[in-house]
Amino acid sequence: MQGMSRHGVSGRAALGGTGRLADDLYLLAHHEVTGRPHLQPRAAGLGVAGGLLAELMLSGSIGLHAGQVVVAGRCPLEDAAARSVMRLVAGERGQHVAGDWLQFLSRTAADDVAFRLEQSGYLARVASRRPWRAQRWVPVDPESAFAPVLRVKLALDPSQPAAAQNVALAGLAAACGLSRHLALYLPDGAYRHIQQATGCLQPALRELIAHTQAAVDAALLSHRV
Amino acid sequence: MSRTSAAQRRPSSMSRALARDRLGVPAVLFFVLAGVAPLTVAAGVIPSAYATTGLAGIPAAFIVIAVVLAFFATGYVAMTRHITNSGAFYAFIARGLGRTMGVAAALVALLSYSFLQVGLYGAFGPNAAAEAAAHFGVHAAWWAFALGAWAVITILGLLRVDITGKVLGVLLCAEISVIIAETVTGLLHPAGGQLSFATLSPAALTSAGFGTFGVLAVVAVLGFVGFEQAPVLAEEARNTRRTIPIATYLALGMIAVVYAAVSWAMAAHAGGTRVVAAAQQQGPGLLFGLGGSGVLSQAAQWLFLTSLFAAALAFHNCVWRYIFALGRENVLPAALGRTGGNNIPQAASLTQSATALAVIVLYAVAGWQPMTQLFFWLGTTGGFGVLILLALTAIAIIMFFAHDSRGESAWRRLIAPTLAAALLTGIVILAATHYSTLLGVPPGSTAAWALPASYALIAITGLAWGLILRTRRPGTYAGIGLGAHAVTGQLTPASDRSR
Repeated sequence: MQGMSRHGVSGRAALGGTGRLADDLYLLAHHEVTGRPHLQPRAAGLGVAGGLLAELMLSGSIGLHAGQVVVAGRCPLEDAAARSVMRLVAGERGQHVAGDWLQFLSRTAADDVAFRLEQSGYLARVASRRPWRAQRWVPVDPESAFAPVLRVKLALDPSQPAAAQNVALAGLAAACGLSRHLALYLPDGAYRHIQQATGCLQPALRELIAHTQAAVDAALLSHRV
Repeated sequence: MSRTSAAQRRPSSMSRALARDRLGVPAVLFFVLAGVAPLTVAAGVIPSAYATTGLAGIPAAFIVIAVVLAFFATGYVAMTRHITNSGAFYAFIARGLGRTMGVAAALVALLSYSFLQVGLYGAFGPNAAAEAAAHFGVHAAWWAFALGAWAVITILGLLRVDITGKVLGVLLCAEISVIIAETVTGLLHPAGGQLSFATLSPAALTSAGFGTFGVLAVVAVLGFVGFEQAPVLAEEARNTRRTIPIATYLALGMIAVVYAAVSWAMAAHAGGTRVVAAAQQQGPGLLFGLGGSGVLSQAAQWLFLTSLFAAALAFHNCVWRYIFALGRENVLPAALGRTGGNNIPQAASLTQSATALAVIVLYAVAGWQPMTQLFFWLGTTGGFGVLILLALTAIAIIMFFAHDSRGESAWRRLIAPTLAAALLTGIVILAATHYSTLLGVPPGSTAAWALPASYALIAITGLAWGLILRTRRPGTYAGIGLGAHAVTGQLTPASDRSR
């Protein structure tokens, strides 16, 4: 990772982010200063799990066929978390629908990605003030933790060419319940803009976003969020 | 058998991991019973029903309706295995009778559960006022306590706080223990020293004419509301073929035994038909008095309040989930299907809070009687709405399996649902034609036709809206009944979207 310092990433490099979708989604789902979550844990887990699958889709490693996650290619993956998910997909006997993968990955996705962000210098682990609570992660630099919001804003600007990764980030953020939070920083009609922008994504990513939203809504409706 | 095929038959690590997280029968059963709030029915509904209808056959009605609902549940849990969003009646009706009927059913369900929720404030207010006056010397009108409960439920709804499973579990166990203790004590001290079984006899159902069965059936169905909730957890269940059916049948059996026994104990303790006069004099005290006036009675009175509050919060959550799902499907305005911070569906929750506030204020200003005219009238009307939905769902189950048995036996897909549909439809007709008896008002009074007619009005509105969606917004129409899965509705096979 370029621009890393002992205590985190240095200014300009940090604002560019890690280049990984799930990392940006994790940062979007947590307060840029305190690290407090904007989402219920299960919704955050499903959203970040969607982010991990989207990373593999964007790299051409996996695809969706009739709603099922399938191996699409064997691209070299630098990141350990992505390699771990890829190993799971490739090693699984039989294929599973995207909803099952989201449920499965959501159990550990948020912690895995937080650990990855800690390794990259974006998060630091601090002890909770309450002794019975586990350690929590807080952003090292509030500006770099807030930068994903700017990337979403840029992706929704019709006058700029939008990167598919940032559009997918906006779609997944809305799917797991962050649209009201994002609306604070985006122009009026942000929700509609996100829907329009994600409509231009490749079909597999659109489908993954829809499955993520369905999983979050289903958890909400079944009293499990 | 080769090593490869044996390995393929073993569940994968992912399947095993997901199965570990899923819910077994005890968890689903507990979820269902916690929403039933047994003391609300035992101390609130049953004495009010004796007092208002003037009928003594309530114990027999609980048993007969449990059998009818067992027929219903046979097809209901079978269809649960084949559809998404199986936690809502309108999803069954949309798949079995078409999406236009699904919209009508969704609005009927929304109105029914809203009646049930708002009605609970009518019991909480006066009973909290009585307890406050007796123990704390605080004297205030019933509506002040009802508004207090409303405010707390509104805040909890906005904070997305369900009373935790552990708290509900403790309350549920305490409520059932108190009901059993009161029942046993009441049966040990029957009026005249002779235990009568008359109110348990099927003859008691038609003691004042055949139509009274419809009235008693509505009261019984009101007691069972909540048993239909098990399929809400279908996607979370460890084994959909076994977990949901077992939990549903166990819940039905337990509710039937507890309610039939406690209502029988009240009749036996008061003495046959004298139970009606006793209920009119004592109200919820009909239950509390079974065990004398000691600690048991006092515990029952406090638990009655917590039970009413928990039920009001549970129905509040049930109503906003309906509003939210319909907003997600774009059947209601999409803004109702959005969430704010922490995944809180603020608009849906506030909509129900606004409805409840309007009703409490209306009753307070008009000076209408809360226990009878708010709790019992709106509660039984909510129960009547659920009865209509049960009948429509039974017909929908038959239609759903009519062209494709989907591997279900004739008993589950045809015979049991047909029996349920015939019996439930008959009960709906009987209840509608004897609604004045149900409410305890003279025939022809405004409430006796206006309350049941509200369902006809909203059903017609739903049918019209469904037809408009069909022609003007086919994308929305295709997602009706899919709930959370409406967003992936376009991804389902075309064969599943034929209606």
